Amino acid sequence: MLSTIALDTQVIRPGLCTGCGACQGMCPYWGSMEGRTICYFDCERKDGRCQQFCPRMPTDLDALRCRFFPAEAVLPEIGPFLGLYLTRAADADIRGGAQHGGTMTALVELALQEGLIDAAVLTRSQGGLEAEGVLASTAEEVRACSGSSFQIPPTLAVLNKALQENRYHKIGVVGTPCKTLAVYKMKSKPLAENDSHADNIGLVFGLFCGWGLEWDGLRDLTENHLNGGSLSHMDIPPSKYHSLELRKAAGETISVNLDEVTPLVRSGCRYCTDMTAEFADLSVGGARSADGWDVDKGWNQVIVRSEKGAELLNLARKKGVLEFKETPEGALDKLKGASLGKKRTGSENLRRLRETV
Amino acid sequence: MEWTMTANVPGEVCLMQGNEALVRGAVEAGINFAASYPGSPSSQVLGMLGKIARERNFYAEWSTNEVCALQACIGASLAGGRALCIVKQNGLLCTADALHCAAQHGVKGGLVIITSDDPSAHSSTNEFDSRWQAISAGIPLLEPTTMQETKDIIPYAFQLSEKIGQLVLVRVTTRVCHGRGNVALGPLPEHPNPLQRVREWDRMVCVCYMHTPALEKLEALRQEFETSPYNHYSGPEQAKQLIISSGTGRLYAQEALSRLGAADTVGLLSLGTLWPLPEKAILQYLKPAEKVLILEEVDPFLEQGLEALAGKNRLSITFLGRSAAGLPPVGELDPDNVMAAISALTGTVLPEIPTPEISIDLPEREMTFCAGCPHRATFFLLKKTLRQEKNPGVVVGDIGCYFMAGQSAGQYAFQVCNCMGSGVNIAEGLGQLTNYGLDQKVVTVCGDSTFFHTILPGLVNAAYHNANMLLIVLDNSATAMTGFQPHPGTGLTAMGDRVKAMDIPKILDAVGCSVETADPFDVAESEKTLRRLLQKSGMNVLIMRQPCATLKAKERKKPLRVWVDQSKCIGDGCGCDKYCSRVWGCPGNTWDFKNNKASIDPVTCVGCGVCAKLCPGGAIQVEGGEEG
Repeated sequence: MLSTIALDTQVIRPGLCTGCGACQGMCPYWGSMEGRTICYFDCERKDGRCQQFCPRMPTDLDALRCRFFPAEAVLPEIGPFLGLYLTRAADADIRGGAQHGGTMTALVELALQEGLIDAAVLTRSQGGLEAEGVLASTAEEVRACSGSSFQIPPTLAVLNKALQENRYHKIGVVGTPCKTLAVYKMKSKPLAENDSHADNIGLVFGLFCGWGLEWDGLRDLTENHLNGGSLSHMDIPPSKYHSLELRKAAGETISVNLDEVTPLVRSGCRYCTDMTAEFADLSVGGARSADGWDVDKGWNQVIVRSEKGAELLNLARKKGVLEFKETPEGALDKLKGASLGKKRTGSENLRRLRETV
Repeated sequence: MEWTMTANVPGEVCLMQGNEALVRGAVEAGINFAASYPGSPSSQVLGMLGKIARERNFYAEWSTNEVCALQACIGASLAGGRALCIVKQNGLLCTADALHCAAQHGVKGGLVIITSDDPSAHSSTNEFDSRWQAISAGIPLLEPTTMQETKDIIPYAFQLSEKIGQLVLVRVTTRVCHGRGNVALGPLPEHPNPLQRVREWDRMVCVCYMHTPALEKLEALRQEFETSPYNHYSGPEQAKQLIISSGTGRLYAQEALSRLGAADTVGLLSLGTLWPLPEKAILQYLKPAEKVLILEEVDPFLEQGLEALAGKNRLSITFLGRSAAGLPPVGELDPDNVMAAISALTGTVLPEIPTPEISIDLPEREMTFCAGCPHRATFFLLKKTLRQEKNPGVVVGDIGCYFMAGQSAGQYAFQVCNCMGSGVNIAEGLGQLTNYGLDQKVVTVCGDSTFFHTILPGLVNAAYHNANMLLIVLDNSATAMTGFQPHPGTGLTAMGDRVKAMDIPKILDAVGCSVETADPFDVAESEKTLRRLLQKSGMNVLIMRQPCATLKAKERKKPLRVWVDQSKCIGDGCGCDKYCSRVWGCPGNTWDFKNNKASIDPVTCVGCGVCAKLCPGGAIQVEGGEEG
C-alpha cells in the first residue's frame, strides 16, 4: 500500500493518530494543523519513513525493546527498569516554572552543558495552549520549555528536520510515550535506503502521560473558564480530585471538573498502552504518593531505563543539580498498578475498535 | 488574412478557414455592427472583424457577455443597421431571453446571429445543439457546409432577415469553423448599409400580440426555402435509399458514397435551410424512399422533423440516424461513423481498414495548465489550505482555463461546476447554509474575464446577503482560454483602442466585499493569506494576481533560467517521490529516466521559479534573467 494511503487508512481515519509528528518534517506530503495530522498530497512510494516511524503502525515491540534494552531489566508493567527515584530540581528557579519538580528541565540542561547531547528537541507548552516543538541548543532555550501541555504538538517533525539538517549529532529528545516509541523506531533505521541520520539521535527522555487533549477542544474549554486572562499552567491532580487545574498568569487557580475534560481526550490516546514512556533512557513523571497529593507535590518520579540514563542521573546527583528524596515503599507497586491500568484500558479500547472496523 | 477579408476582387478564389469565410461574408453583407463574446470554435470571427472594422466603416466590439452583444445588435438594428452577433452554443443559451423577445418584436436592420456548436465538446464543457433555439424562438435557421456556402450564407441571411423583419440564426460547427476550403470572393458593397434615424413610430417592443405576426413571418419563409439554393440533391431519381444531411454530414456522406461506390444508388439531399423545413422540396425525395439516414451534428433535430413530416404524410419509412441505429447518440460525425452508418443503410459490407502492425502505447495525457501558469500555484495552495481545515472545504468551479483545475492540474479542486458565472451563486447558496449547520468552508473561483461576464450580478447578490464564502478571482489579465481577447479589465477594445481599464478591486470594494490581493507565485505568503481569509466570516474576495504565462511569453520577457542540481535531487526517494513532476505537475518539470532524477525542460519552462520554492531537496536552481 502507498505510504500516505497506509497511514491515512490505518492510523488517521480509525482515530489512532497521536499527532506526534514522526511522519512529518521529512517531505512535503505530511503536515499538521492544530494537532491534526494532514496528508496534503499522495505519495506513490510503497514504503516510506512516515509509515515506518509511526508509533501507531504495526510494531514488534518486543523485538524493538530487545534491540536497545537488556531483556533481564524489563518489567512487564513499566518496561525496562534500572531504578525508581524521587527527585526535583535543586534550582528553585527551574522549579518555579516546572510542571512538578523540574527534574526534566534540570536533566536536559545538564546533559547539554556536559556535552552528553548537543541539542534537544522539546515541546514548548506556552502555558498549556498552542504548544509547539522546539530545537533547543542552550540552557536558556531548554528552560523556556518547562511545563507541560495537554495539547500534543507534532514535536517529532522538529526532530526529523534537525536530523536531516545534520548539524547536531547528539540530539536529545523529550517526549510523551508515543513520541519516544517513534524515536526508537527511527533509531532502528527501518528503511534501508534512507537512515534519516538516526545516529544523530542522543539521549531519549520520556514523559509519563495519561492522555492528550483535542487541540481546539482544550482551547475552547480554557476560554470558557478563564474569562479572559492568559494561562500559565495546567495540571491534573491525583484521580480522587477528578479535576483539571488551570492556573492563570495572575496566580489564581481554577478547577475544572474532569467530566468536562475527558470527552476532549484525543482519540488516539484512548488506545495507548504506555503510561511511563517505556522506550527511553529515562522517564520522568509527577510524583504521586500513596499518602496524599501534598506529600510529594513538587517532586518527580524518575524511572532509569538504560546505562546512559543512569549515568546522567548519577551525574545530576554528583553535581547537585537534582535533589533526591527517599523512594517510599510501595511507590513502584503503585506505579506499576497505574501503568497496568492504562494498558488494560488501551487494550480493551483497541479490541473494541477492531470489532467495529 | 486581412487582405482576403477586405479585397474587392470579385471572382478571386482564396483558400479560407470557415471563420474567415464568415468574416468575409459579413463584409460582403456590408454590416454596420458586430458584437460577440469569445467562445470556441468561432472566437476568431470578431477578432478579425475588429481588425478591419475601421477600414470597412463598421463598429465591432468584444462585449462583456453574449446578452450585451445581442442586445447591442438589437439597438443597431433599430437604427436600420445590419448587425452581426457571434456566439457559441453556451453563449446562445445565455441570450435566450433576449433572443425570444427579439423574435417577438422583430428587427428593422438585418440581424444575424452566428452560433457555433462544438460537437464532442473539443473546446467546451458540454456539447449541445443550439438549433432547437430556432424552433423555440420561432426564427429561421440556416446551416452552411462548404467554405463557399459559409461565406455566401451571411449576406443571404441578412437579406432574409430584412425581407421578413426577423432575426436569422446561422449555425456552424467546429469542423466548419476550423476547416479550410476555396472561396470565390463576391463584390464588396460600394457604400456601407445606410443607417436610418429611429422614427417616432418605429416599434421593436416585445408584447404578446406580436407572437402571431412572428409566426407568420416564419411561415412566409417556408415558401422561399422550397427553392433555396442552399438545399441540394444528388443521386438517382426516386431513390429508395436516401441520406438527408446538414452541415458536415454532407461532405462526409459524399466521401463515403464515393468510397462505397454507392453514389448512383443512394440519394443525398443536403439541407441548408433547417427551419422552417421546406416540406414540399423534402417530400419529393421522401415519398419514394424506403430507408432514410439522417446525418447531422449532435441532436436528432432534422430526424425528428422529418419523422413528423413523414408521419403527417402517412409515409412508411425506416429512419436511421442519431436516435435509431447507425450513429452514436452523442459526439460528432466523422468519416468513419458516417461510412458505417451508410453501410448499414445500403446493406453493403464495410470495407475493412487494415490495422497497422506496429502499435505504440502512447501515454495518457490529461489536459493541464501551461508551464508557468499562475492557476497551478493557486489551486495547489487552495488544496493545501483546505486540507488544513478541520472539515474538508467545498470548492465551486467556474468556466475558463481554470476549469481544468477539476483534474490533476488543479489537484482535483472542484466538487461542483455549472456554467459560466455560476460559481459565485452556487457558493452563495452553500455559504448561506453555513449558518444552518453546514460546517465547512465554501470557496469559489472565477477568472477576470468571467468576473465581468456573469459574476458581477452574483457578486452583488452574495455581498448583499453576506454569504460566508471566499471568492478567488484568478486575475491573469487575459481571456486566455479563447485566445487573449480584450475584456473590460484589460484597457483594450476589439478595434484596438486604448480605454480606461475597469479596476476589479475597486468594483469589489464598491460592492462591499472584503478584498485582498496576493501573488500566487509567492507561495508562502499566499498560503498564509488564504488560510487567514478562510477563517473570516462573510463575503471575502481574494484576488490572485499574476499575468498569464502565455501572455508573458508573448511579451518576450527574458525568463529566469531554471535547472535541477541532480546531486541534490531526492528523485523518487523517500522525502520527495517526484514532487515536482508528479504532484506539482508543471509541464516544465520533467523526469530524467536515465539518471532517475528530476529535470527541467528548458523549452517548456517559462521561468516562473515556483517549483524551486517547493522542491524538498532544494535541488531546483533559479538563475539570472531580466524583465524585458
